[in-house]
Amino acid sequence: MDEGPVLELRGITKQFPGVLANDHIDFDLRDGEVHALLGENGAGKSTLMNIVYGLYSADEGEIVIKGEPVKLSSPHDAIDRGIGMVHQHFMLIPVMTVTENIVLATEPHTAGVLLDYSGARQRVLEISKRFNFAIDPDAKIQNITVGQQQRVEILKALYRNADILILDEPTAVLTPQEATELFAILKDLVAQGLSIIFISHKLNEVLEIADRITVLRRGKRVETVPRAGATEAGLARSMVGREVLLRVDKGPAHPGDRLLQVEDLRVIDDRGLEVVRGVSFDVRAGEIVGIAGVDGNGQTELIDGLAGLHKVASGRVTIGGKELTGASAHIRLDEGLGHIPEDRQRRGLVLEFSLAENIALHDYDKPPFSRWGWLNPRRVIERARQLLREFDVRGGGPQTLAGALSGGNQQKVVVAREVSRNPRVLIAAQPTRGLDVGAIEFVHKRLVAERDGGRAVLLVSLELDEILSLSDRILVIYEGQIVGEFTPDVGEEQLGIAMTGGRRSEAAA
Amino acid sequence: MAVRAETARLRTVGVREVAVAGIVLGCFAFVLSLPPITARSPWWPALAGIPAIGAGIWATTRGARRLGWFAVSAGILGIALGVLATNASSGHLKSVVSWTPLFATMFVFATPLTFAALGGMFSERSGVVNIGLEGMMLTGAFFAVLGTDKLGNWALGILCAVVAGGLMALIHAFVSIQLRADQIVSGTAINFLALGVTGYFFIQVYGDQGIPGSISQVPSVNIPGANHLGAIGRIFGHLNLMIWFAFAMLILSYIVMFRTPIGLRIRAVGEHPRAADTVGISVYGIRYAAVVVSGMLAALGGAYLSIGYVGSFNENMTAGRGFIGLAALIFGKWRPFGAFAAALLFGFSDALSLRFQQPWPSQAVLFRALPYVLTLIAVAGVIGRSIPPAASGRPYRKQ
Repeated sequence: MDEGPVLELRGITKQFPGVLANDHIDFDLRDGEVHALLGENGAGKSTLMNIVYGLYSADEGEIVIKGEPVKLSSPHDAIDRGIGMVHQHFMLIPVMTVTENIVLATEPHTAGVLLDYSGARQRVLEISKRFNFAIDPDAKIQNITVGQQQRVEILKALYRNADILILDEPTAVLTPQEATELFAILKDLVAQGLSIIFISHKLNEVLEIADRITVLRRGKRVETVPRAGATEAGLARSMVGREVLLRVDKGPAHPGDRLLQVEDLRVIDDRGLEVVRGVSFDVRAGEIVGIAGVDGNGQTELIDGLAGLHKVASGRVTIGGKELTGASAHIRLDEGLGHIPEDRQRRGLVLEFSLAENIALHDYDKPPFSRWGWLNPRRVIERARQLLREFDVRGGGPQTLAGALSGGNQQKVVVAREVSRNPRVLIAAQPTRGLDVGAIEFVHKRLVAERDGGRAVLLVSLELDEILSLSDRILVIYEGQIVGEFTPDVGEEQLGIAMTGGRRSEAAA
Repeated sequence: MAVRAETARLRTVGVREVAVAGIVLGCFAFVLSLPPITARSPWWPALAGIPAIGAGIWATTRGARRLGWFAVSAGILGIALGVLATNASSGHLKSVVSWTPLFATMFVFATPLTFAALGGMFSERSGVVNIGLEGMMLTGAFFAVLGTDKLGNWALGILCAVVAGGLMALIHAFVSIQLRADQIVSGTAINFLALGVTGYFFIQVYGDQGIPGSISQVPSVNIPGANHLGAIGRIFGHLNLMIWFAFAMLILSYIVMFRTPIGLRIRAVGEHPRAADTVGISVYGIRYAAVVVSGMLAALGGAYLSIGYVGSFNENMTAGRGFIGLAALIFGKWRPFGAFAAALLFGFSDALSLRFQQPWPSQAVLFRALPYVLTLIAVAGVIGRSIPPAASGRPYRKQ
């Protein structure tokens, strides 16, 4: 192959109604490299790659693949040119098998018309062997892990003979172990001659995997740098356009009254399993208590039990001295509970409602939003406008639909709603999941401000960094039980051991 | 967790067999009291039914809940119906439960349902709900008669029916795919449109003198020597050509849907259109084709009614059979053979109600409701949940 880049984009411009998503972007991918595309949510990374994959067409600019200018008007064209894309939300059909998903639209056939399933299966096995993927070709997608589903997506591209692979935020849905496995796979793919575009907003993983890094900000290319010499702080500055505090700045805590008391709480999930097994703790005014744990150890059910979204089997929940164990979510909110739910799109917001309506979602029945049982839309909008300004929500006004906002801005709306209600107890579940550095910094600062304002903050997170940097006390949850309490100066390793149940067995021995 | 589930599954294996045996025994309790056995003492059904209930209870307490309850209800129903049957006069029983004509009639009634259900399968598997099957069927019924009458040949009549049904479906496709309108509303509109169009042309063309009695009808296939082959021969010996055609379409539909690349693509579009789009499948193209095929198949069902079975046409002659076809599709979990089995069951209950009319006219009406009751039960999830294609009913918007 000649020395030129395998893929070159020249002056790509794409205008959406109201947004210039891509503004004369230049980009090139060399043979056999991993080129990271870094930027905040809404910086235009996915738009650019959707243009390369033929899903969107550019308004201006030129795409050159292997030295040849091309026009890509559908994914079909892109696939023909050897481009494969692994979407952030997997494009897999849950009820079909791995093989069926991989061969879809390029099915081998026998006798002219019949689907050659065993032949297809054979090819899938061959390719997965060649690239060292352990995949059962007959398993249904809905029965395999997210990490395996991602490998099926990669296989899908390889089956179509892709030599340029685009991965859109591939680690967003993975556990840390799965991410490590993915990186090993990617290195293997590059060694076998593929070139990879890796879209991400996570600095550490970009520095780990990429050969070169291109940073986008608000639809423009900021810079393209080799990995050697790049630093997290430097990349964060180009991404956000200003200095970013990667560490949280906070003073010592001044704990006061016990505002949230949890005693021997037990929750039984929909499958009839006891997933929260006798949890007791309390959170005082003016402190952040972090709950660390590996995903699926009862965190979700614990939060749901506290927020009144799931029935509690036994135990007591007291908020501000008042027992609310059996109370409805609405009563708890009225009694001073704030809840930033872990899934903002499904539980935090009604995506089909406007931002103003979303902000009024809890207190729609109280002044100023309503009076004598009548909503006052003008007040609702006024209040929303004020909060959107205060919380620096970008991408829309009070009348914009919540679904139209980027993830970071959606989260800011949720935070704005919960915090502005002046809760005594604030539960923040995974408050920065999927957010970029700028938004993470904002949410973290806000949580610390709430603490300093005298609220009791319960932080539940899977990100150890977040737990360590924000919490004043750390509780570790494992298999539905609190197995240890630590101060924030604890080592990550020690926490990790407790999170996998190590400490408890030690104590038992 | 996984290990626990595994051991639980192993433990229920023996239990499941017992429960199935209970179900069979429960059914047997009823059969005992019917011809040809015709046990006349109520003790016989009880003798078979009580162990069935016992087996059911035993299975229920040991993990096989659903099957266990089936066995219990089969036992109770078996005894109840059995005792009822022993109380009926044996003359009446013989006239109603005469197996050979019952089964032959079952195929007659099941055929239009089968066509409709297969049509519905294509549409719904591609992600378009087709409640307009009824109207497409009615269109087929009328245009089959019109075509046969004017062109003088039943084959051309069928061709007319298929074209008309396809056009009707094309309207539904355009409205629900291109315009992304609510598919239930569009389907309902199709039903009224069909009622209007067929009614108008019927009066316009045949208003004065009615449909000539001499129009050519789809012939029956008389298998030579079939009558010597016992019950099977008598059931299958004289079926209408279109019934055989329905069997052929059934097998063909199965092959297309589950054994060809086209079928895989149709199902992919119905489950996750965006995923299909990203690998270069035309979602709109597949959906258009599937809906039009759906209308053609439904029209075949209508054609069977008019020029196959009755030999004439009257207003709204499909009388809800399109809806029952849809019910059969749901009851059969959106699979061709499942839908066919459901169509046979519904056909059987129709056949039974027809024969009931002689001795017990009022009870006959009850059997007419059976398809709907069974469908409700199926949708409520008693017989393993009936889950529609994931994108069914949702319009797709290209990016």
